[in-house]
Amino acid sequence: MSAVHDRSGNIALLVPGVALLALAFVLPILQMLALSVTGEGAVDRFDKALTDPFYLGVLWRTVRLSLVITLLCALVGFPLAYLIARAGPLLRIVLLIIVVLPLMTSVVVRTFGWMVLLSRGGLVAQVARELGLANRSFSLMHSETAIVLGLSQVLLPFMVLSILGVLTRIDTRLEEAARTMGASFGATLRSVVLPLALPGLVAGSLLCFALSASSFVTPSLLGGSRIQVLAASIYTAVTQTLDWPFAATLAVVLFAGVTLVLAPYMRIAGPRHG
Amino acid sequence: MVRGVPQAWRLGAMVFIALVALFMLGPLVVVAGASLSASQFIAFPPQGLSLRWYGEVLGSSAYVDAAWVSLQIATGVTLAATFVGGAAAIGLHRWRHAGADILAAAFLSPLVIPTIIYAIGLLMLWSQWFGQVSMLALGLGHTLIAIPYVVRTTLAVLATADPFLEEAARTMGAGPLERLAFVVVPQCLPGLAAGAFFAFNISFDEAVLSLFLRTPTLTTLPVHIYGTLEFSPDPSVAAASTILIGVTVVLMLLIDRILGLGRVASA
Repeated sequence: MSAVHDRSGNIALLVPGVALLALAFVLPILQMLALSVTGEGAVDRFDKALTDPFYLGVLWRTVRLSLVITLLCALVGFPLAYLIARAGPLLRIVLLIIVVLPLMTSVVVRTFGWMVLLSRGGLVAQVARELGLANRSFSLMHSETAIVLGLSQVLLPFMVLSILGVLTRIDTRLEEAARTMGASFGATLRSVVLPLALPGLVAGSLLCFALSASSFVTPSLLGGSRIQVLAASIYTAVTQTLDWPFAATLAVVLFAGVTLVLAPYMRIAGPRHG
Repeated sequence: MVRGVPQAWRLGAMVFIALVALFMLGPLVVVAGASLSASQFIAFPPQGLSLRWYGEVLGSSAYVDAAWVSLQIATGVTLAATFVGGAAAIGLHRWRHAGADILAAAFLSPLVIPTIIYAIGLLMLWSQWFGQVSMLALGLGHTLIAIPYVVRTTLAVLATADPFLEEAARTMGAGPLERLAFVVVPQCLPGLAAGAFFAFNISFDEAVLSLFLRTPTLTTLPVHIYGTLEFSPDPSVAAASTILIGVTVVLMLLIDRILGLGRVASA
């Protein structure tokens, strides 16, 4: 290859991207982090964010819901990714559309769909009433269940695509070998496919947790203002109470938590370049 | 399908697929259904069929203005992200050095770093330096989160491109710029095109940056829908949402035609 001759040309290709990334992405995030840690009253703000019972409750709810959502996504995502990886061409494209179309649709629109489904007159309440499971005033709106349902639908594609990336690289002959040697289909899934897919499952779970902990559009619309999560508190502080320093403090708390989760993710998922 | 799958597993898989399809597509179907309602209320199944709410949306200056803002930003973002991201991907692909992997990870990082953290950072920085946020600020933010998609699709195409084509052009006397313009960029075209459609879709549908950087005159379509949902939604918001879904479906079909969804999904 002519890599040596093209060195200056390659640098010229990379310069606009690197400059944009540094000035318009890294710099704003770093400056916000620095300001919230060093600014006046920083200690008081962190004290409020980490000891005030209201914000502790918000923090705990965020972690709890994110764990439940991640678990749900993993339980549904693994079999779904396996089906996509092993399906024939037609079923494969159908399944991919089921996963990718919602992923590409605006989160606001998907959440709106759940609002219609979960409202008092919605389909879910109607079915529950028909089955005698609920009374007339039954509605899942403004509940944690609504947030879990909505966010699981929003985040499932990330889990599926993470696992699928690993599954498509597994040699199917390994499964055939296990079957030939007498392992049942279930046993093969458990002791051959699952261990090999584990990096994808772990990476997908870390990603789901991080994205779930930092969403606010779906939790705000489905949970209402009383059931707040951390990201929703940040949005409220920016747009309603106009307390930007405190919003930045909450963002640092979120960033710290998410970084803890994403550091191992970066190591596992890594750049699969080329 | 792997051979020798027991009948019970196959049956279970079919039930599972049906339930997942219902879970994933249900919310979209419900929105599209509710938009056809003839009544004043959002309901699914719709009560009576009519297209009146589409007329309502097209006649509402709030929706039309928001759509115009979205369209302007998405067009700018598509051009900027495709140009910058495409160039970066070609540079990354050629740069055979350990640093290329780290730089690639940096370019893809907006995919995993929560947008809300970026949004508040960008809002604070822009306000401090330039005052009131503008269309340029929001377009810049969207460009940064769209670039990873262009980088990914272009790298995916380059990974299977024939490197000897450029080598051949070089031995025949083509200079670096000629090789880029007449060999490498045409080779990348499917990736660049798919990336461009992704970039448009990301910007057109994005809500987090758009909500943080909103002003009374800088309201995108998703933000206007969000605002309507918070207060008193009528079926016109379902009609506007269905238009957004329609745009997404068209873009997804284009990406599938150009690059194949399977290739995009496992890239």
